[in-house]
Amino acid sequence: MEAFWKPGILTLGLYAGLVLALTGVLLFLCSWLGEKRGTHEKQRAYECGMIPSGSARFRYPVPFYLVAIFFLIFDVEAAFIFAWAVAFNELGWTGWLQIVFFITILLFGLFYIWGKGGLDWRTKVSRPS
Amino acid sequence: MRAEDLLFTRTDALINWARKYSFWPMFFGLSCCFIEESVALTSRYDLSRFGAEVLRGSPRQSDLLITSGTIFKKMAPAILRLYEQMPEPKWVISMGSCSNCGGMYDVYSVVQGIDQILPVDVYIPGCPPRPEAVLEGLILLQEKIRSERPSRSILHLSGGTQGSRRPILVDGITKSRDSRGPGYLGTLPRGTSETPPWFWDSRSDLMWTPPAHRIELHERDKSLAQILKEKFGDAIRQTPETSDMVTYHVTGNRVKEVLKFLKTEASPKYLRLDDLTAIDESARRDQKPVSHYDGTVVNEIGQNGKSARPDKGIGPDYTLVYHLLSFDPPGRLRLKVGLTGREPVTQTITDLWPSASWYERETYEMFGIRFEGHPDLRRLILPHDWEGHPLRKGYPGRATEMTPYTHASAVEHQPLDAGAFVKQKEGDQELLVLNMGPQHVGTHGLMRFVLALDGERIADINLDIGYHHRGVEKIGERQSWHQFIPYTDRVDYMGGVANNLSYLLSVETLAGIEVPERAQFVRVMLSEFFRINNHLVWFGTFCHDVGAMTPTFYTFREREQLMDIVELITGGRLHPAWFRIGGLAMDLPEGWKEAVDAFVKVLRERIGDYEALITKNPIFRARTQGVGVLSLKDAMEWGVTGPNLRACGLEWDVRKKFPYSGYENFNFDIPTAPGGDCYARYLVRVEEIRQSLRIIEQAASQMPGGSVMTDDTRYAVPDKKDTLKDIESLIHHFINVTRGPKIPKGEAYTATEISRGEQGYYVVSDGLNMAYRMRIRAPGFANVQVMPLMAKDGLLSDLLAIIGSIDYILPDIDR
Repeated sequence: MEAFWKPGILTLGLYAGLVLALTGVLLFLCSWLGEKRGTHEKQRAYECGMIPSGSARFRYPVPFYLVAIFFLIFDVEAAFIFAWAVAFNELGWTGWLQIVFFITILLFGLFYIWGKGGLDWRTKVSRPS
Repeated sequence: MRAEDLLFTRTDALINWARKYSFWPMFFGLSCCFIEESVALTSRYDLSRFGAEVLRGSPRQSDLLITSGTIFKKMAPAILRLYEQMPEPKWVISMGSCSNCGGMYDVYSVVQGIDQILPVDVYIPGCPPRPEAVLEGLILLQEKIRSERPSRSILHLSGGTQGSRRPILVDGITKSRDSRGPGYLGTLPRGTSETPPWFWDSRSDLMWTPPAHRIELHERDKSLAQILKEKFGDAIRQTPETSDMVTYHVTGNRVKEVLKFLKTEASPKYLRLDDLTAIDESARRDQKPVSHYDGTVVNEIGQNGKSARPDKGIGPDYTLVYHLLSFDPPGRLRLKVGLTGREPVTQTITDLWPSASWYERETYEMFGIRFEGHPDLRRLILPHDWEGHPLRKGYPGRATEMTPYTHASAVEHQPLDAGAFVKQKEGDQELLVLNMGPQHVGTHGLMRFVLALDGERIADINLDIGYHHRGVEKIGERQSWHQFIPYTDRVDYMGGVANNLSYLLSVETLAGIEVPERAQFVRVMLSEFFRINNHLVWFGTFCHDVGAMTPTFYTFREREQLMDIVELITGGRLHPAWFRIGGLAMDLPEGWKEAVDAFVKVLRERIGDYEALITKNPIFRARTQGVGVLSLKDAMEWGVTGPNLRACGLEWDVRKKFPYSGYENFNFDIPTAPGGDCYARYLVRVEEIRQSLRIIEQAASQMPGGSVMTDDTRYAVPDKKDTLKDIESLIHHFINVTRGPKIPKGEAYTATEISRGEQGYYVVSDGLNMAYRMRIRAPGFANVQVMPLMAKDGLLSDLLAIIGSIDYILPDIDR
């Protein structure tokens, strides 16, 4: 029996329970104590005091989103590289070759995106650097 | 007392204590008052000491609405919506006379007090209130919150109070229609009854003045007149006598030909359309039989509704007035076109000058004159569902003469949908239509940019102006020549007395009034102070727009020092209204020289500090260089003036080209910069601060002695001291203060170089104690009209840099 509690499951469970309870209480208090008046104007999207025009739900070019996605891909890859770097001595030359292969494929990906124009902002303005 | 109520007293106190020291005011400015409100945030006044530190950009995060400024009818629906979108509980502080009751703007476009559409907790009086008054308003609100009982409301029990709960005022019941306050019952407001333009036996007619000032025309103008006569024959007629510039009358169907000739073939070429406006001639006293006049004749003397005014001949119903300008050599010219009929039609000149577009729309809106061939002839300034043409003589000038604007009106009159301004599709690509403004941190005032966005790119842009229309041109037709001076301060509210100067120069040109040298020097010195005032605020806010927060803290510090000097000399801060017809309100006070010298010394050093922060800053340069480029040709075509024109590389400054008020006596340079981008505009303005300091230094060191008021007491208000000694001064003081001086019949246009560009006043007098027509040629109107050219196809983020670099101000655009 003692071995089962050894890693401290009880404390972990208590902790998790407390976190959930506190979050619940705070959310409840916020929603119950705050005065609410759901008027028509209140529910409307804020747009500098004007009534918004048209819908925001359509195919919308988002260069920011692309950049964010690319960042995510390369960010996850970085996690592998860090893991390899920590174990550099244990993995030896085999590991080195594997990671070089991995990075090369990543670079191909980057060049591909670049070539496709995925890193452009799709603006026609030419700005001096 | 029940035990639970005892408990609530404690929680009430706790909640109120927390609330009153943690306000979140919304970033919401309407007009001049907001300058003082924002100054309350800066280091000298430091609003954060009172627990209201950061202005929130959106109503969702705010619980305090400070309505700082004039409540415009076009803006009222937006104000109401913003208020509704704030979370509960919320409070409202009404700041300034306009917001409290309409203030000095009892005019068709202004709501007579915010409390007709919103509940208000605290009123701050003043026009504008000082920053200290903002602090006091906040303390008063804190006091008010102390009296609230929020616990019961919070716990969903009956009873309890929190937030604004006062009912809005009802016109005629809880709200007086008299904007002067109680006690004036039976006394008609000035301008509606005492001497309206149509009052045929005005007492001003009993006063004699010499005829309007006449000028000798230049040889160049005479030879051009000869050429025009040969080319157009009887269609063009030169006005024999004029007070300011060569003037021609043209018959309606030939005007476009004449304009085209003047722009493309004449020598010199009149390349810029300075101004285009109209005059409603229906209330002229010597031209029209009164039966042609269908306005509200309030106090016409006569029987059976028929006027006893004599019929003296027929003139046109409207006169269109074109002011043109030639750059090389500098010259001005006026064309006048008589139009007949109640709804006359004339040809557009938008194909000659693209900048005519807004001018023609404004003329159409204000007078009902249609321009055939105009690509987009619709209302520009007033709401799209507005009825009538306000600058017609028969249109009521005062809001208190019209149906009251209430909460219901604010709900009913919604602004035009953004889709009506821009295209919504580009090829197959749907565009995101976005309103930026009228309430937006980056728009520097109540301006609505309607954008169609393709991602980050601005595919289409259109401007909706008029949210700040205070009807000042209409007011000019009812206030006496003297009374109008305070209104000019508020046209460019960062320009202070520099506005007085533009207006007074026109009046003085028309009447031929000589201003003593000392007064001229003081006028120049103060105008330059206000140029620096504007540029300091511009420096802080522009840098803030492109991401640099620090400069604001520095520039507002120096600005306060400058304001102290302005206060020392004039007694006012933003709106001193300190110049008078023929001179100044009073002489310089003791100790002015030391204060001015100290300021010049300090600021000269500090500009170096500002520049060290910004000029070579790589982020700043990346945000401004090559952004918002305007070519010199476009700038000249569109009538862009001021630093924005000089940033296109043209050395053009009214102070040098048409020297006025003794500017020819001062040594200064005209700063220019090449490129026409945001960075060039930055460089020009920074250098202008230095040049202004030079002028101030010279004016202070060479200040001549003598009187500060013209001795022509026909127009001047005599010194109060003299009125106690001699009867002549007493009489003139009495007449000129009450009825106001009479200005001879005629017209004059003069322009001055204010901080934003060329501000011109075109005053038309019918020989009465108030103007017949008061036209303001505002630099912002032309400077802003060209903005789509700079912003289109650029990035959304660049628009903010462009807005900051153009440096416009709303009352100057919408007037």
